[in-house]
Amino acid sequence: MKRLTAGKLLTAAFILLLGLVFFYPVAASILRSFRVDDRIGIQSYMELFFDCFIFYPMFWNSVLYAGVITLLQLFVIIPCAFGFMYARFRGKNALYIFYIMLMMMPLQVTVLPNYIGLRDMGLLNTRTGIILPMIFAPFGVIVMHQYMKSIDDSIIEATRLDTSSMIRILWTAVVPQLRICIFAVALFVFAECWNMVEQPMLFLKDNRLKTLTIMISQTDTFSPAILSAAAVIFMIPVLLLYTFFNEHLEQGLTLKDLS
Amino acid sequence: MVKQKKIKSNKQVSRRHRLTWNGKCILCIGLSMIGTLFFFIIPYIRVLYYSLIDNQFRRNFVGLANFMETLQNKYFLLALKNSLLLIVICVPVLILLALVISLALAYGIKLLKKTRVAFILPMILPTASVVLVWRSVFQGNESVLPIYTLFIWKNIGICIVLLSAAFSSIEREIYEAASLDGTSSLQLHRYITVPLIAPTILFTVLLSIVNSFKVFKESYLYFGGKYPPESSYTLQYYMNNNFLKLDYQALATGAILTSILVFLIVLAGLALQRRFYK
Repeated sequence: MKRLTAGKLLTAAFILLLGLVFFYPVAASILRSFRVDDRIGIQSYMELFFDCFIFYPMFWNSVLYAGVITLLQLFVIIPCAFGFMYARFRGKNALYIFYIMLMMMPLQVTVLPNYIGLRDMGLLNTRTGIILPMIFAPFGVIVMHQYMKSIDDSIIEATRLDTSSMIRILWTAVVPQLRICIFAVALFVFAECWNMVEQPMLFLKDNRLKTLTIMISQTDTFSPAILSAAAVIFMIPVLLLYTFFNEHLEQGLTLKDLS
Repeated sequence: MVKQKKIKSNKQVSRRHRLTWNGKCILCIGLSMIGTLFFFIIPYIRVLYYSLIDNQFRRNFVGLANFMETLQNKYFLLALKNSLLLIVICVPVLILLALVISLALAYGIKLLKKTRVAFILPMILPTASVVLVWRSVFQGNESVLPIYTLFIWKNIGICIVLLSAAFSSIEREIYEAASLDGTSSLQLHRYITVPLIAPTILFTVLLSIVNSFKVFKESYLYFGGKYPPESSYTLQYYMNNNFLKLDYQALATGAILTSILVFLIVLAGLALQRRFYK
């Protein structure tokens, strides 16, 4: 019994240490932004807010892209996952496996088809061009579909007796049951979009349309003080979302059997 | 005349009702399918076409010549080697760490649960935000170490989330029965927990392999958009350089080859998983 607790303490110490290592970059980023020329203060923030006007449109772009994509994606994902769950047709399994494959494809495979699609539609260098392809990302479909296996069919059956409108069935019987999964997926998708680098880099030419990720990566153009302040401001929205939705993350994102 | 119109509209109504439940369910997939069709499938076929012609303007069919050329390209091979090395070295470390951490979080001392946030946050925090700190930690280290660490730092969160979800579905009684026999907790997890969640572990391995192809973002930000040292030149850099040159043939061929590679990896994973369930 004693050996067991010693082992437990040892693992606890190990995990704690590891946790500190993992947390260090976050803490150091924040501390760094308050230190300018070896003095502690908020000059870097002053500089960012009052001298660096490109920051505002870029921050707004990041919010706009991530927010709109997340919202619109939910409207595509939920019916699609529902369809995969209840529709019966030939080739459904093959289609589902195709979605899994697509989910697993790295950006460097999908970005060229996306680029060609946008080019042919004349959507390069527009806001729509960033938003549109991201709405159809298959990740959420797969996660939602996995989660849907555990929801209560009888509520859907009962609602079907009341109405034949698919929209009403989805809204009143399906969405409330998916709440936790929706939060988790929304958090995940938002964070993904917030973090995107390649799409604005490749699809946009106009600086006024670009996101904060692009600004922060331009280390030659901006002073270190401005960059470190922008980096912290950039973390805040996701941190806030995380504190709100954190508990849903584990229950909402279950992915194991993919057939 | 009026009557006729009425009959017609009645017909339309009944026709709309004839759309069965199953039909509506299929329709639900439609929206997503249309988007996928226009932004992926149709352009992908064009990408395939680009990989088989000599260039944009002459459009001569050259068969597999582009593929032969790419497979002999020094930079492509270097990128492929580095990408595979990243998988072979980092993925096992990542999965092992994630397993240990999520086990400790689930079954260890209660207080330890507070450290969870440290492992989950990197997954959602923008890499761009912390990259300045990474640079000052590694002080211009030119080896693969910074990229490998960034990869593990960034990807451990999703692995822990998925594994923890799997742990919470295991019933506690199993442990109680086993611990009566006097097995140590290490044995307990080795022989009970891990086999029980094997499908999830397999999936996390698969996801991590696939994510290792996405490490470009971290690497790009870390090197500040400059050319990376040779050891960190991965497939994504190869693609990106060709993107900047707008060399469609090289891009298309690279994309097709990468997609075949990922396709085979996922197929193998799915087949393995099917065996677990039998």
